Amino acid sequence: MTYAVDAKLRPAADADYRAASKWRTRGIGLAMAGLAITSIAFVGNLAAVGQSGVDQASTLAWTFGVTTTGFALTKTAIAVVLWGIILKLWLRADSIKTTLPKLVGTPGVDPKPLGDIDTPFGKATITKKAPGPLPIHKMAKKLFRPMVAMGLMAVMIGLVVSFVAAGSVPNTRALAWMQGLQFLGEGMLLSGISFLLGTILWAIRTAGGEVQESLGVKVYTPKMPGVAKAFVALMMLGLMVSIAQFIGYVVVAGSADPAAAFAWLGPFREFGLGLILAGITLALVAIGNVLGFQFWRVENLIKNGERS
Amino acid sequence: MTTTTSNDFAIDVSKKGLGYNKPQQMGRKLWGPMWVMAIMAFPAAFILGIVRSNAVSSGEAETTVAALGHVTTGVMFIGFTAVFAAISFAIARILGEFRKGGGEVQELVTTEVRTLKMPPTAKIFILGMAMGMMALLIASIAHLVVAAQVSSGSLSLASAETAAITLEAVRRLGVAVYLVAITFGLATIIKVLRFQAIRLRELA
Repeated sequence: MTYAVDAKLRPAADADYRAASKWRTRGIGLAMAGLAITSIAFVGNLAAVGQSGVDQASTLAWTFGVTTTGFALTKTAIAVVLWGIILKLWLRADSIKTTLPKLVGTPGVDPKPLGDIDTPFGKATITKKAPGPLPIHKMAKKLFRPMVAMGLMAVMIGLVVSFVAAGSVPNTRALAWMQGLQFLGEGMLLSGISFLLGTILWAIRTAGGEVQESLGVKVYTPKMPGVAKAFVALMMLGLMVSIAQFIGYVVVAGSADPAAAFAWLGPFREFGLGLILAGITLALVAIGNVLGFQFWRVENLIKNGERS
Repeated sequence: MTTTTSNDFAIDVSKKGLGYNKPQQMGRKLWGPMWVMAIMAFPAAFILGIVRSNAVSSGEAETTVAALGHVTTGVMFIGFTAVFAAISFAIARILGEFRKGGGEVQELVTTEVRTLKMPPTAKIFILGMAMGMMALLIASIAHLVVAAQVSSGSLSLASAETAAITLEAVRRLGVAVYLVAITFGLATIIKVLRFQAIRLRELA
């Protein structure tokens, strides 16, 4: 079962490593569509300045829905591009697997014992065989698709509700549902992106292990760094806040005077997204560290090999 | 160092690896401070939101509520500006690892180090990041200015409301531009991976 899941996360065996990525093109196209939609809402927002009363409230309701949908499309575009990165990472790993034996020749003797070591890129573990995925990798691989799909769905339902709110001013019930749904969707989309970044970390780790194992050398694998642990914690916390704000808006939807609740729910929902974004930053930092570690390992193999 | 094309890629050819370029050096240094700024701004804005909610429920002056609304949004979007900058710098840092590591590996095995020139997507990434950052920063500062004006009485409540709607529009567009810039930054990583997959096999 694990193998079947992993096989879907790799390019086909006959994939051309020279070919341009279609996911890159699709991602950029989707991002531009998201920007175009947000720009339409931007004009609507500016038009609302010259309006008053019901007209203004109506415009503000639909522009909220349309803007958030534009953001969601752009975040989906980011997810699409990240998927393209995963596929290209494997093709690059295949190139390393093909080339490295010729660059190294017979690998040099490695006197380091099995176990933990310090490297310029943090702690690493030396093993005979490539280690399996960490629990967070398994979770990330399974959850990125449902998270992105559910996030998009929530935002789209919120968009429909925003049109309902725009057509029935004043309708605080619809406004509450719109905000809650759309920010739950945004939170899920960002969590999907986080899981994709986790999947990238898995791909780099697994490919690195496979390359070393195929060369017949000891397998060096970086240990999970502090930034990666903080990434997981921030993502989980942010997602929980996104769910909590949704529940908050659902509760407030039935209230006669939601002004006080709206005053804290607005910053609360943005706080949730901020936490997930802070986590995403740390995931990207972890990816940078792991790449640096891999180049360091490849350089050492070449330097210590027979051909050097 | 010479510039040429190889397999549809514009490249620089040199004897030594070129190391990090300027934006990548900046990314390595600045992602941390930006991240710290963001992680401080988000809870601060949330607390301000709670303070404002209390002001609404306890029936405080409308000017106080309006000023608090502007301050909350201003601080929150300083956080978003910082976190998007941190993400952009972290992407630049990844691109830097590819450039530096790729150059060093080639240096070990060949006398001709080929380095991908900055692709158009990377230039759009930097430009978009600068535009998004400016829009968000200007809107955030304007929110704080409006808050000061409305609490001092030099700006009417109606004008403060109009400012809130206008600044909201600017903020939203800034976020969209920033997200598109990040997409372009990540798209650049795909290009670099493809370049390295091809270049590695040339070294064999």
